[in-house]
Amino acid sequence: MAAVRQHQQHRLPFRYRDRLMAWHAPPWRLMNAAERRRYWWGHWRLAVPFATTLLLMLAMTAPLLVPAPVFPHVALLGLFVWTTFQPGLMPPWLAFVLGMVADLLFAQPLGINATLFAGTAGFVRLFEARYGHHAYGFDWAVAAAIVIVFEAATWVLMGVGGQPIPLLPLGWQALTTMVAYPVVVALCARVQRVAFGPGVTP
Amino acid sequence: MDWTPPPRRSTAMRREQNLALVSAVVSGAVIATGLLLIVIARVNPDGAARMRGFMLDLVTPVWSVVRAPFDGVGRAADWANDYAGAVDRNRRLEAELGAARAELQRAAADRRVLTTLKRLDKLAEPTRTLISTARIVSATSGSVVRSAMVAAGRRDGVIAGLPVIGADGLIGRTIEAGSISARVLLLTDPASRIPVIIERTGQVALVVGTNRPALEMRDKVGADLPLRAGDRLVTSGDGGVFPPGIPVGTIIDPQEPVLVRPAAHPVGAAYVRIEAAYMAIAQDAALPHYDAPVPIEARRSGGGSPAPATPPPVPLP
Repeated sequence: MAAVRQHQQHRLPFRYRDRLMAWHAPPWRLMNAAERRRYWWGHWRLAVPFATTLLLMLAMTAPLLVPAPVFPHVALLGLFVWTTFQPGLMPPWLAFVLGMVADLLFAQPLGINATLFAGTAGFVRLFEARYGHHAYGFDWAVAAAIVIVFEAATWVLMGVGGQPIPLLPLGWQALTTMVAYPVVVALCARVQRVAFGPGVTP
Repeated sequence: MDWTPPPRRSTAMRREQNLALVSAVVSGAVIATGLLLIVIARVNPDGAARMRGFMLDLVTPVWSVVRAPFDGVGRAADWANDYAGAVDRNRRLEAELGAARAELQRAAADRRVLTTLKRLDKLAEPTRTLISTARIVSATSGSVVRSAMVAAGRRDGVIAGLPVIGADGLIGRTIEAGSISARVLLLTDPASRIPVIIERTGQVALVVGTNRPALEMRDKVGADLPLRAGDRLVTSGDGGVFPPGIPVGTIIDPQEPVLVRPAAHPVGAAYVRIEAAYMAIAQDAALPHYDAPVPIEARRSGGGSPAPATPPPVPLP
């Protein structure tokens, strides 16, 4: 398996974590002061997926423009996109932390988004290992399926958590979330290119 | 910086397998923790109140700053609008003012009579107390919980369970409070229940949010008078939180389910009044009385409260 991965490395998306981890760093004594500084300061990239998703989540609490609850769940889309772009930087435990923040921010019972975000990250990780790196349309379809399951599970878990809610608005939110996928993926791709360089290893 | 990674060895593979195992275990543990948290939230909904308040305090100032320029633009547009249609509006308002003056004279007479009657009946009425006037800085537009954040918190005396009233009518009630911010449950949230009275017929009912733009009116009490589109609903004062007479909405569809358009919209209401609960129910009123006298039968059968411990009799020498 490792050999296969080594062979495929030239066409896999560039995963920055592998370069930043200490055991892949160049020997300390071979770097001059400027290179060491660049190496250490380069670690801010580790926080990019988390920070981007957090900002998307914050955007969801923006003063509402429409009375109907149709704002897309962009935080979920951000989570999905970053789990496909940088799986090493969006592990399920980090998704759990993001979900806790979402629960506190959206006044939902604690644990609902936490469970669902962690589950989503874990699922995408397994799915990518098996069927990874597909066409754009395929990724969109997978995201749509995840959004539908996510909203349905939210409905169930809100009932379990003691705050039952009607299902219909969740359906509308699922629709707008599917439509918003291209915008979020374009945004995250831009961030990815700025922070991590071109998408394919040179 | 670019350094050739060391060639893969079997130790590397083993390490990768170990890491995969650890990651799977951590993921499972994290999901299990989440499910456990949901169960805890069901049993103890107010458990994370402090954390929620802290998060509110972090987010609210951000939106206060972000929306300031937009508010400025909106105000400038309002001014421009004011100048544009000033003459037309002036004529219309003068016509309305004539009708309103006549209405006001009748109302003044009514109020005098009402005051006299109340004095005759020695009717004690609770007064409305303003706690804080604050700005709505943001509102969730997701489809799970409909809430807004206001920039006033425990430091201003705002706690959970207070009525929030805008210029046009009722906005909601506070459910969480941080030290400088609070969260308002809007009328449109499915958890919101507002006791109302229909102005025209005098029937009481509940207005319930359904997470859609329109509210629903349920549990109408009283004679079965037909409703009309356009009937106004105001708060009835039942339940002790909302003061009576605050506009809640207008019936737009009198068929079941009765749909109600809210009177106030949280986006339009830049500033809201947060008042004290109209008739706060004392917290200890519902608690059971632990030091109630024990019936004599229970005492005889030994089922009452334990008798005060007496020292065992000391045998005399």
